[in-house]
Amino acid sequence: MNWGEQVVLGLLLGGVYVAVGLGFSLVWGVLNIVNLAYGAMVMIGGYVTWLLFTHTGIDPFLGIPVNVVVLFAIGYALQYVVVNRVVRAPFLYTFLITFGLDLVIVNALLLIFKPDFRSVTTWYSGAALSVGPILVPYIRLWSLLVAWALAAVMWWILNRTRTGDAIQAVGSDRDAAQLVGVSLSRTYALTFGLGAACAGVAGALIATYQAITPTAGEPYTLQAFVVVILGGLGRVSATVVGGMLFGLVQVLAQSAPHLGAGYQNAIAFGVLVLVLLLRPQGLLGRAV
Amino acid sequence: MAAQPEPDAGQEAAFAVATPAAARRERILLVVAAVALVLLVVVPLTSTDQAQSAGLPLLVDRYWFRVATIVAMFVVISAAWNLIGGLAGYPAFGNVVYFGIGAYAVALLVTRYHWSFAAALAGSVVAPAAFAGLIGVPLLRLRGHYFAVASLGVAVAVGEVINNLDYFGGASGIFMPIVRSDLLFYYLMLGAALLAVAITWVVLRTRFGYGLIAIREDESAAAVMGVNTTVYKIAAYALSAALTGLAGGIYAQWNVFVNQDVAFNIDVSIDSILMALIGGIGTIWGPVLGAVVLEFLIQTFSGRGDLAVVTQIGLGLLLTVAVIFLPRGVVDFLGGRSSLTLAYVRRTLRSSGV
Amino acid sequence: MSEPGEVLLSLREVTRRFGGVAALDGVSFDVGRNEILGVIGPNGAGKTTLLNCVSGVHRLDGGDILLDGRSLRGLPPHRVARLGVGRTFQIVKPFGSMTVRENAAVGALFGSSEARLPTRRAFAHADEVLALVGLAPKRMLPVASLTVPDRKRLEVARALCTKPRLLLLDEVMAGLNAVEVDEALEMVRAVHASGVTIVLIEHVMRVILGVCQRVVVLHLGRHLAEGRPADVLRDSRVVEAYLGEKYASRYAGG
Repeated sequence: MNWGEQVVLGLLLGGVYVAVGLGFSLVWGVLNIVNLAYGAMVMIGGYVTWLLFTHTGIDPFLGIPVNVVVLFAIGYALQYVVVNRVVRAPFLYTFLITFGLDLVIVNALLLIFKPDFRSVTTWYSGAALSVGPILVPYIRLWSLLVAWALAAVMWWILNRTRTGDAIQAVGSDRDAAQLVGVSLSRTYALTFGLGAACAGVAGALIATYQAITPTAGEPYTLQAFVVVILGGLGRVSATVVGGMLFGLVQVLAQSAPHLGAGYQNAIAFGVLVLVLLLRPQGLLGRAV
Repeated sequence: MAAQPEPDAGQEAAFAVATPAAARRERILLVVAAVALVLLVVVPLTSTDQAQSAGLPLLVDRYWFRVATIVAMFVVISAAWNLIGGLAGYPAFGNVVYFGIGAYAVALLVTRYHWSFAAALAGSVVAPAAFAGLIGVPLLRLRGHYFAVASLGVAVAVGEVINNLDYFGGASGIFMPIVRSDLLFYYLMLGAALLAVAITWVVLRTRFGYGLIAIREDESAAAVMGVNTTVYKIAAYALSAALTGLAGGIYAQWNVFVNQDVAFNIDVSIDSILMALIGGIGTIWGPVLGAVVLEFLIQTFSGRGDLAVVTQIGLGLLLTVAVIFLPRGVVDFLGGRSSLTLAYVRRTLRSSGV
Repeated sequence: MSEPGEVLLSLREVTRRFGGVAALDGVSFDVGRNEILGVIGPNGAGKTTLLNCVSGVHRLDGGDILLDGRSLRGLPPHRVARLGVGRTFQIVKPFGSMTVRENAAVGALFGSSEARLPTRRAFAHADEVLALVGLAPKRMLPVASLTVPDRKRLEVARALCTKPRLLLLDEVMAGLNAVEVDEALEMVRAVHASGVTIVLIEHVMRVILGVCQRVVVLHLGRHLAEGRPADVLRDSRVVEAYLGEKYASRYAGG
């Protein structure tokens, strides 16, 4: 593989990381919750896509609205019923509770779907666009476009709607938001639901090129964390930058001598350490 | 809270308990613990050949030894976590990395460098402590989520690196010479568990413990009071790493086999935190109680296939429920400071919930 | 006040910036041994920042701070505490899971080189100090059960347990009613009588007039005036600095 191909593939992979990062960043930035069940939610998204595809033949990209609705509902319910009980406790407890949720979700998936790998293979799965000497797989290209569209939609929701105003108000000053009549429990649930919906979209994208299994979501939680730290917490644009850059880093690092696909977590962690040591607020984030 | 009787000024000891009732309860608990300890040490001896030929009843079997050893192991790991997570308030989520380093230290020293198991155990204490001392410097500058996830990342990354390098046996791991003795490893783990509890007890009585708790409650106030927060945090972290590594070292020889899945299993970290949580974070007996209760539950319900999966779901639900309703753990009730009433639960929910 | 042996704390051109803004800009003054010095100024004057710089919580961007001739610049907070500087916080920071006694004892366990007592002696010393501030009857209680004035007393007791040469008090009187202020004043006088040099930040002028020998006025990070309390409070520049604030809030529609 030559450099050009790697850069392109890195950027394409970056699209997936943008989708992965958006939901994680929203929940962390507004609710101060690091959702350890995030990877599992991504997998739920993958399974929704797979189910739709194998039982009704609906194309994975076209089925994304279903992912959004299903995951939003799940996220909303989880926050409203469970996570809302500990939002004001020390962060250790939200951390532990999301880990508990992760255990429940992953193992529920194992119970229902068994550990077998499932894949979604469409008629265009192998097809690619020729851009000069570089082959750009259609799936990756569309994933990138969907991810950017998702980012745009999220930006629009957060900055141009009343719901977004409520979410941002709660994120910056909880008490003031309550004073003007914002319902904390519902806004929290809404935020978590939106985050879950993003995870659902990410799951759909991942299912198009990767075989899914209940435990395959775990690396995505750590990687979402790194994407957000890399780009900076608090803004959609920051997550976009973080995601694209992280995709690039993963592809380039894995092609280095002595490294490889088995090192994806180590690479993610290496990026994390570097960023935290050199620029803790991330590339685009506000100063810590 | 009942009004306290006025104690003689300056006469009572530094660690006087608040009420006579609580003091009585503490004495009872200590007696119970002492009796339990004696039983734990003596009863397994009925399984030795000498005891059997003398006609003593067999009170414990191989299954009992296995479960008891694992429970003891988790007492060590959970108590060790309690030092950095419970006392100092820096909840590390990747402490299993020290279990792994300890395990691999023993495996390598014995198989590749032909050390004796006893000598290798020293390595299983020193290597993790050194690594923790090193990585603690940047790591403990982080707070909250950043620290927790970064510590998790350390575990994941180190496990991955070890899995990829041939020096460590790669994915196929390392096989150790077989040492068959239920009794030996049981006593080793029991000894390690006692050591962990004793260390916690000592720490809580000394300046070190008060410094850690001060750091947990308010780090900047602790600093201006004169606590060298950096040194104290790293010391607590290294100490917890050393104890966790010891458990890993013993486990390596007991299990005879180590690889990434065995030695760097994140579930171990999470289970140990859950144990400390259920028992009571920051207390001496919390991790012990939590380890005993939880590990017995896990061992009882573990199995193959679907049963294992359902057990994990149960664990996840238990974790969720414990975090919501019992964040201070069970030791709180035993110590007499609160009782499990509806009012208690409601108060907890009101202070933590939205 | 300019003889070397008589000066305990000396601030020389102390400067501290946050982002582009200078919270402290070339502040210089001396604190005499065994003096009670007040530091006043309208909100945002940099008073708490000043305390933070002295106690090592903030690094200096310029200038120096000398304690008995020894530079404090660059020292971390625990080293400053070791040299004998104790402080309280404006918003009290008790160690929530400990009892009153244990809180105070932390000061005696760590603190200045003269503190750092072995555990038993540390608790005995804590008991003495708690008696001094009037918290003896409550010393076995958890801090959560203390009233606000009592928490402030604990804050002072804890700092005292570090056996400081210099005690920095940050708005200890805030939130207290008239009776409580009088009691707190008594406490400050008792502390001072035991040989401790005190620098106190206050908004309550009655306190400044009642207990301070000298006063330094800060305004927008700069040293504005200095002298005896009665004189300083009559100084037209000081009045303007405070009134200017009041006028500003009036025009803003307050």
